[in-house]
Amino acid sequence: MLTRRDFVLGSGALAVAVSVPFRAEAGAEAAARPPFVTAYLEVSPDGSVKLYSPTTEMGQGTHTGHAVIIADELGVDLERVSVVTAEPADPFRRNGQMGSGGSWGVRAWYQPLRKASAQAREALIAAAAAQWSVPAAECRLERGEVVHAGSQRRQGIGALAAAAAALPLPAEPVLRPKSELRYTGRKVPRVDLPAKVRGEPVFASDVERPNMVYACARLSEVFGAELDGFDRESATAVSGVLDVVAFPGGAAVVATNSWAAIRGAEALRIRFKPTPHDKLDSATISRQMRAGLGDGAQPINARADGDWAAAQAAARRVVAADYEVPYLSHAPMEPWNCTVEFGGDGEVHIWAPVQTQDRNRNAAAAAAGVPVDKIRLHTTLLGGGFGRRLGSDGIAAAVVTAKVVKRPVKFFWRREDEFGQGWYRPAQAARLQAALDADGRVTGLHVRTAGPALSASFSPQGLPAGQLDGSSVSTIRESRYRPAAFHVEWVRVDQPVPMAPWRAVGATQNGYFLECFVDEVARAAGRDPYQLRRELLAHDPRALNVIDTVARAAGWGEPLPKGRARGMAFVESYGSLCAEVAEVSLRDGRPFVHRVVCALDCGSIVLPDGVRSQVEGGIVQGLSAVLGEAVNVAAGAAVERNFDTYSMLRITDAPERIETIIIESGEPMGGVGEPPLPPLAPAVVNALVALTGKSIRELPLSRHRFA
Amino acid sequence: MKITFKVNGESRSVEADPEMPLLWALRDLLGLKGAKYGCGVGACGACTVHVNGRAMRSCAVPLKAVQGDEIRTIEGLGGNHPVQQAWLEEQVPQCGYCQTGQIMQAVALLEKTPQPSSEQIRAGMEGVLCRCGTYPRIEAAVHRAAGAMTTKAEG
Ligand code: FES
Ligand code: FES
Repeated sequence: MLTRRDFVLGSGALAVAVSVPFRAEAGAEAAARPPFVTAYLEVSPDGSVKLYSPTTEMGQGTHTGHAVIIADELGVDLERVSVVTAEPADPFRRNGQMGSGGSWGVRAWYQPLRKASAQAREALIAAAAAQWSVPAAECRLERGEVVHAGSQRRQGIGALAAAAAALPLPAEPVLRPKSELRYTGRKVPRVDLPAKVRGEPVFASDVERPNMVYACARLSEVFGAELDGFDRESATAVSGVLDVVAFPGGAAVVATNSWAAIRGAEALRIRFKPTPHDKLDSATISRQMRAGLGDGAQPINARADGDWAAAQAAARRVVAADYEVPYLSHAPMEPWNCTVEFGGDGEVHIWAPVQTQDRNRNAAAAAAGVPVDKIRLHTTLLGGGFGRRLGSDGIAAAVVTAKVVKRPVKFFWRREDEFGQGWYRPAQAARLQAALDADGRVTGLHVRTAGPALSASFSPQGLPAGQLDGSSVSTIRESRYRPAAFHVEWVRVDQPVPMAPWRAVGATQNGYFLECFVDEVARAAGRDPYQLRRELLAHDPRALNVIDTVARAAGWGEPLPKGRARGMAFVESYGSLCAEVAEVSLRDGRPFVHRVVCALDCGSIVLPDGVRSQVEGGIVQGLSAVLGEAVNVAAGAAVERNFDTYSMLRITDAPERIETIIIESGEPMGGVGEPPLPPLAPAVVNALVALTGKSIRELPLSRHRFA
Repeated sequence: MKITFKVNGESRSVEADPEMPLLWALRDLLGLKGAKYGCGVGACGACTVHVNGRAMRSCAVPLKAVQGDEIRTIEGLGGNHPVQQAWLEEQVPQCGYCQTGQIMQAVALLEKTPQPSSEQIRAGMEGVLCRCGTYPRIEAAVHRAAGAMTTKAEG
């Protein structure tokens, strides 16, 4: 337990610890952990309120969500609340890892932040009541002031902070009723947007330090190859280049400006050691994954409800289909970069766009050869994350470079390395089978996925042989569908390609497999896919409500203009249930999405417009992936190395209309950053199959011809 | 080589490699961080600025080509430009990294086509990628800015 002495702040401030009972890493299981403190709320003598938060703002609006929760529960104007990503070196931190992922940003913090804000409120009220010698029950805190009802005396919270800090905090403060919340559930402008719209330097790449030099990395194209050597002069011959610094996996060309550093990196003659996978290509990976679907492979069980063998034996017919998806790149618009400065006092300052502060800080300390508490990691706003910044693969080289050149260094990757270094959404294959009875009812489902283990690549501790990679079966293992028999298993097919959680992680491929298969089953049985889903969810009113809502709003079953078709999908992930209906046609032989209707049951919400914005973003990113995204492998390296070859959605292909229906079911708060993405691909594919009659079992759609 | 041009109305000179793309001169030599590096090959639009009133990918424009030209960057819009206001009203940005390029592209589009249709907006904005998926809001914000700018012009 924390004591008040733990908070030694600037004089006159009140600080309250925010204790979050758990945290889950994206892609990992939600593990129960002891309570920890990484955040605290500070009421300053000037009446402003600041949250030192361990979450990273990468565009998902988390900081605004936190500010709204605090402003409402404490009782201050939103403008008085600011949120900064704390340093991991923060002395108030207790236990736990610092980071953002798994759509936890608002839902994990909602209750803890309310509680801390209510504690601060009650302490401030108690301080005022003591000063005025009136009962605390006669006082309220509103708009930044404690007010005594009887005497109409009032005092700003800034002036009360010091006195409140000397009082004990209530263990179980009373939360405000919903009627007193001024911002929650209303349209609130995002706190980070004005600076972004003005083009202010808010990103890591914008950080400038006195005497700074620029270092462009030259990295191995073959995944994981080690540096063999380089010809220094080939780079230093470029004007403006100062030095070349070796690090594990490559070299940094240091120059007086970014352009000289890039030219030097391009000119650098560099050699890498051979690897066992120098000849690896996509065809081989695909063959190996598909072999994992066959009889010789060793599956690991993930779900075994009922008796699949019996369902299969008794079936009137068994429907089966194999699917495959490629590696995907996160492609945040800001390529990896960070700025490192060794201070005279032994401290190392780093400005970086990271989602996992501890992981990066530890990697930086090891590279710098200093104790971890000497690393001062300043998290900037991120130019996109989507899971790519959960890793720590870019920080060590930057630290090594700054240590050698003894000047502040802005270290960056070219876009080609952002694409080429991997940490992709895994490729995966799957075989799905359904047993149908004489009435076309599904009596059993059997799903096997086969592919590389995300956790083996991404988790620092790897994945021991024989253990299940949760991400490889997620959303199917937990599926709410309840046929009499439901069997789910996974076959591990290791690959040397580095992987990381990609927005919505395993649900992106598994949602596609299962939901496209449900439509295939419906077609085989001559049934309406929406009605088949209703049958599989008949026991589950919450899920039924989600698909009924989307079907109604989308006009499911109603006639469409010629040349258009609808497709539906339903995927649960990160604690939220999401169903989408896409309306698709072909435009010049390519799929075009006119309309997407999304019904999202995320329990309850704080920022409705923030949720809508995340739904739109998830749908657009999902559409981008299903239409054209793939990282292909040739000669042990990524083929697609920039936006001229990696096909990312442009505005011309964006849906004409996105309609979002938020369902506040009152169930525990679910995520919103990720859940809207997974249903999009199967909804679009199902619509295309309905339109063309073609079966589509490999993504992206650009691999298929529609004419 | 010394190259002189105007940036947001002010005359600026840089001593640099004439092949250096304008993007890096703006960011590293002139301290204007609004234009972003996204791809370096003219494929993403994050670096979009105006050269003599036209939206250009500054990563693909060498300094030697802008000698004497008029450059406008997001810093030159002043912060309250109708397009910036529309961007706030529609709450467009997510991560925000692409948005300076989006805004500069939109300003150029509206200067040429004050009342664009949705098709014209999409065609005009095609060159600027957004990974966060803000396209629906970009389209809405350009429509809104077009309305605001016309009202102002008429008023
Ligand atoms: S950075 Fe210039 S177009 Fe991408
Ligand atoms: S807002 Fe993030 S890339 Fe556009």
